[in-house]
Amino acid sequence: MSNTPEQVPLKARRVSFSWEDTPLHWVPGDPFTTHTINVLHLLLPAGERWFVHVYKQVLPYIRDERLREDVIGFIGQEAMHSQAHDEVLPHLRELGLDPTPYTAQVDWFFEKLLGDRALPPGRARRWWLMERVAVIAAIEHYTAFLGNWVLNAEELDRHGADPTMLDLLRWHGAEEVEHRSVAFDLFMHVDGGYRRRVRTWATAFTALVFLWQRGARFFMANDPTLTDGKASFRALYVRGRRGTLPATGDMLRSIPRYLSRSYHPSQEGSTEQAVTYLASSPAAQAALAAEKGVA
Amino acid sequence: MPRLRTVAAVAGAALLAKRALRRRIQASPLWPMPALAEPTSGRPRSRALRLTVASYQPVAEGVVQLRLTGRDLPRWEPGAHLDLVLPSGLVRQYSLCGDPADRTSYTVATRLVGDGRGGSREVHEQVREGVELEVRGPRNRFPLVAASSYVFVAGGIGITPILPMLRALPEGVEWRLLYCGRTRSAMPFLEEVERLDRVTVMEGRPDLDAFFANTSDGAAVYCCGPEGLMAAVAERYPRVHLERFTPGAATGGAFEVELRRSGRTLTVPADSSVLAAVREELPNTAYSCEQGFCGTCQQRVLEGEVEHRDELLTDAERAGSMLICVSRARSERLVLDM
Repeated sequence: MSNTPEQVPLKARRVSFSWEDTPLHWVPGDPFTTHTINVLHLLLPAGERWFVHVYKQVLPYIRDERLREDVIGFIGQEAMHSQAHDEVLPHLRELGLDPTPYTAQVDWFFEKLLGDRALPPGRARRWWLMERVAVIAAIEHYTAFLGNWVLNAEELDRHGADPTMLDLLRWHGAEEVEHRSVAFDLFMHVDGGYRRRVRTWATAFTALVFLWQRGARFFMANDPTLTDGKASFRALYVRGRRGTLPATGDMLRSIPRYLSRSYHPSQEGSTEQAVTYLASSPAAQAALAAEKGVA
Repeated sequence: MPRLRTVAAVAGAALLAKRALRRRIQASPLWPMPALAEPTSGRPRSRALRLTVASYQPVAEGVVQLRLTGRDLPRWEPGAHLDLVLPSGLVRQYSLCGDPADRTSYTVATRLVGDGRGGSREVHEQVREGVELEVRGPRNRFPLVAASSYVFVAGGIGITPILPMLRALPEGVEWRLLYCGRTRSAMPFLEEVERLDRVTVMEGRPDLDAFFANTSDGAAVYCCGPEGLMAAVAERYPRVHLERFTPGAATGGAFEVELRRSGRTLTVPADSSVLAAVREELPNTAYSCEQGFCGTCQQRVLEGEVEHRDELLTDAERAGSMLICVSRARSERLVLDM
């Protein structure tokens, strides 16, 4: 219900998290769930910085005032997400799990492989820009999916997950749900080709699966408290059934939805739920309190 | 049957390839993606800290010293300052004057300025022991450079960044300090300073010519104090290192911004941001929070001196860029790469 993002002006929210008290396995006793979700901290700092980088270039192509405002708000929110996840990385390092070998590769992936290439101005450059805009729309389908999932993942609360980490995930997830239509609307506005949508979905999906399983395996293998840490598809499936990770079936079912010609992100998730969470997010309130200077 | 033999050969090859791949991945789990030589992720910017005022004590007439405690605080070098976010939201900068080796507390001193911009008044009236303050930094734009000899000139509260420098000077290096102030009772840390030799203390208007009479050309000169004092020293030593907390003349007022790539020049009025002025010319300029925390509006600065008012950029980033939503010019003119 109330899928009316047009009534919510998108704006970056100031947040503040303090990680001192978050344990290494912030889902107690479940390193696999912890690390599968932790992969977000590996991918998002570089990934969302890349979103911002690409979107800044696409602004001149937008011919719709409202969409432009939305994209600008989207850029600000993504910039904050990138920073917030980036701040978790030094904490992981302090806990004995140095993420740098992996994040340096993710940095390469987004800054070099998907970065601005030396292309002649004109068609080639525009093609590469539109391709990346379409890739972002596909990725945002999944960030909205995950955002909607984490907002409703009560199983994590029941398992005693660290409240600060849950708040980071839900604040981020809620903003992803809140701005879930922007990337797709932008893609439809500047290009909208169906073949491109399918092609870039395939690219984005493959890259996500590749990077995610790699990240989970990296964390499990390098976790100082695990002697023989392994990540497996089976473990993912089991957690999906239990509800501490997204269910495999739900993930598979989201694929044809994006590829459907009648797809629109407003059909997924609830803006109202997202905005309600954002109004009560401890991180947003902490930042507000810090601004006002009350302890 | 030749068909069966082909299938068996292919299956065997696939099995071998799979095993080789697994062995390769086991040997180096992150094969085959290359890495960025200088990774960007995971090295966050200086974060805002929330520190408690552990002690609040007068150290001279109209000067209080605050000791802020936390744990595992970021390191700093002599000359560094903190941004203090006061209860009203005002942000003011104060030089660190404690011991850099102490990682559990920061010490700053502040003078009550009657006609100041309200920041010092707020510290004196509202900040007390036990109050929690948000702190950003430390940053250093007044670092101690290597030199054969040093000359320091401090005016009143301007002694604060210089004090840790004096303590950090290597043994045997030649240095002199001129410490001047209105009256002795208004000069903080006077007792500690006078215990050092090579210190000249002057009350009232200092005689700079006499002090500088036999200063060698190779000396590094540092000055922090009232605007008049710094101007007088800069006149004699144009290469002087200055630490200025009250913004220069152009700040707060209007200034000029040249957008080099688009070949336009515009004036930023006193009551408007660079961003607002730029957006009138270039409506596609990206921005979001308009409060200096999201970093969307970051632009490269080609010329001019910036007064950074954001809470995001690192020192390295500040050297060549600015957030145009909040930061302003310290010089009369800025040139942006846009």
